Amino acid sequence: MKTVTIMAGVLLIFVFVWERVDVVRLGYQIERLKTQKILLERERDQLQVKFSALTAPERIAKVATEKLGLVPPQQGQVLMVHLPGETPSLSPSPMEQVRLAKQESTGRERE
Amino acid sequence: MTAGPSRGRRYVLLLLLLCGFSIILFRLVTLQVLQAAELTAKADRQHQKTVSFEGARGMVSDRHGKVLAMNVEVPSVFGVPTSLESPSTVARHLSPVLQIRSNELEKKLRQDKSFVWLARKIEPEQGRRLEQLSLDGIGVVMEGRRFYPKGPLLAHVLGFSGMDGQGLEGLERRYDSHLHGEKRVTVLQRDALGRTVFPKGLAEQAPTPGHALTLTVDEVIQYIAEKELEEAVTHARAKSGTIIVMEPSSGAILAMAVSPRFDPNVVAALTPDRWRNRALTDTYEPGSTMKAMVAAAALEEKVMTPDSVVFGENGQMVIANTTIHDHDRLGWMTFSEAIQKSSNIVAAKTGMALGEQKLYHYLQAFGFGQRTEIDLPGEVSGLLKTPKDWGRRSLASISMGQEIGVTPLQMVSAVATLANGGVMMKPYVVSEVRDQKGRLLKEVRSQVKRRIVSPDTARTMTTILEGVVTNGTGTKAAIPGFRVAGKTGTAQKIDPRTGTYSSTQFVGSFVGYVPAESPRLAMIVIVDEPQGEAWGGVVAAPVFRRVGEQVLNYLGVSRDDTVKIALAMKDH
Repeated sequence: MKTVTIMAGVLLIFVFVWERVDVVRLGYQIERLKTQKILLERERDQLQVKFSALTAPERIAKVATEKLGLVPPQQGQVLMVHLPGETPSLSPSPMEQVRLAKQESTGRERE
Repeated sequence: MTAGPSRGRRYVLLLLLLCGFSIILFRLVTLQVLQAAELTAKADRQHQKTVSFEGARGMVSDRHGKVLAMNVEVPSVFGVPTSLESPSTVARHLSPVLQIRSNELEKKLRQDKSFVWLARKIEPEQGRRLEQLSLDGIGVVMEGRRFYPKGPLLAHVLGFSGMDGQGLEGLERRYDSHLHGEKRVTVLQRDALGRTVFPKGLAEQAPTPGHALTLTVDEVIQYIAEKELEEAVTHARAKSGTIIVMEPSSGAILAMAVSPRFDPNVVAALTPDRWRNRALTDTYEPGSTMKAMVAAAALEEKVMTPDSVVFGENGQMVIANTTIHDHDRLGWMTFSEAIQKSSNIVAAKTGMALGEQKLYHYLQAFGFGQRTEIDLPGEVSGLLKTPKDWGRRSLASISMGQEIGVTPLQMVSAVATLANGGVMMKPYVVSEVRDQKGRLLKEVRSQVKRRIVSPDTARTMTTILEGVVTNGTGTKAAIPGFRVAGKTGTAQKIDPRTGTYSSTQFVGSFVGYVPAESPRLAMIVIVDEPQGEAWGGVVAAPVFRRVGEQVLNYLGVSRDDTVKIALAMKDH
């Protein structure tokens, strides 16, 4: 009985020490992952800035005109086709939709 | 006999032990009691590291989520002069990497300080090269640096922030309380190797980043406005220029361009004159564009009708001992024709028919002499004197757009009111504020300020202003396939040396909206001090056309002919 008690005591001490050591180990691991996360976030932000700079309208227009030889469309070269339910990029004018729906050419009461 | 010496040795041994324990006890008391505070602090300095964190400044993006301003962590370099053996050698090594003169760096490193900044917020590549050098007494820390990836695009609206992340101009300043990140000081535990162990409150370490702003501005429309304005200002060899594009039904600002431009990434060498947002900080005498508001007031008060027959006095009329001229010898005409031909004399007569109080009432209602309360800093209220301060000629002068100072934003808001059926909307540039997790904190909806004229009056004014573009002074603003309503303005500037109207300095402008029957855009174009021909119809109206045409194409607004084609296809 005495031996069993001693062994249980020693085992408890081992478990306690192991637990403390493991907590420290996990602490280091968390710290490493945290550093990695910060570095990845930093890289993501740098890439986002780069992406934003590369997609700037000024740059795209320059590449389109100077490298690709594109020109802005002239009158008659663009035909807008609005599918049913399609919403233009700005908030639509309800009266425009009503006018088109009724095939009327007047009436722009906005109240 | 043997007991004597043996007892004596025992006493000696006891004495030695007592002395030993006394020394230990004394040392213990010294360490644990007398020097406790000092030693605890020393241990804390060795094992703990106090770090100040600041959350990243919030992102600013356009109405489609395109990034216009954001923070990125970049290296900052510091030195510890007290730990350097040879500041001159270290300075020589640092100079080519930091691109700062060696003697400047050496001067900093020779200071009697334990910490000096050598270069802040440098490029990441420079930081990597510094780490490779691994110089003793030189350290690198990461700090948030504000980037404006689109360069000068929307710079006058965005403004910029300072080295320590505080908003200094524009939206950065106006929304600083939302944009700046949280500051937090955290104590970290370090082991013998200097590694951080078990940070207390791990989740609490990262300070909360600032809130993100979404603007009403569209970066493509902004680009079109800036490009066309730059071309117009360069072509006219003008001093400056402004374009504002607004959505009349909501008051949302789609673009606000000011020339000359500046890059908010590089502001150190610039003067405030360069980054001032002239669209709302500068006033000008609007000239003939004011006639649109005076005419609307006259129609609303039934002082005039579009068909009222008025006499142009053959181009000149004397009021209060001064002569008012028109550019042509205009005779009898309808009120509509007078506005389309931009007659000063008829405008003056209209103002006089309205009377001081009514004219003043309508000008106030249209927002002149008061801030529009747009969410941008630096807005001025302009100049609108009360009738008791008016002179004998003031009624006529104000009706022609003289003796009154307005901002470009006030003028476009006033004309947008006519586009919006007579209801004035409050202009705004920020539509949403979100926290770091994307949760909506504030949503700005369009806000009605007041009704100024009836829908009938607004509709009549639209017809008259369409005539300005089809038959009047603004024909160069016409956009093929669209009905455009607008008004030209050419105002003489006051010569600061003489205090009288200059004969060489003008402001040419055009303000209007399109499509006239269902307006999607209200826009003002101002060209300040163009050289050569200065008429608003010549320098500003063509810019309105070019911007309007491109923006309507971009927004996918159907041309008149497109509707006809679509209907014709349906009939077949």
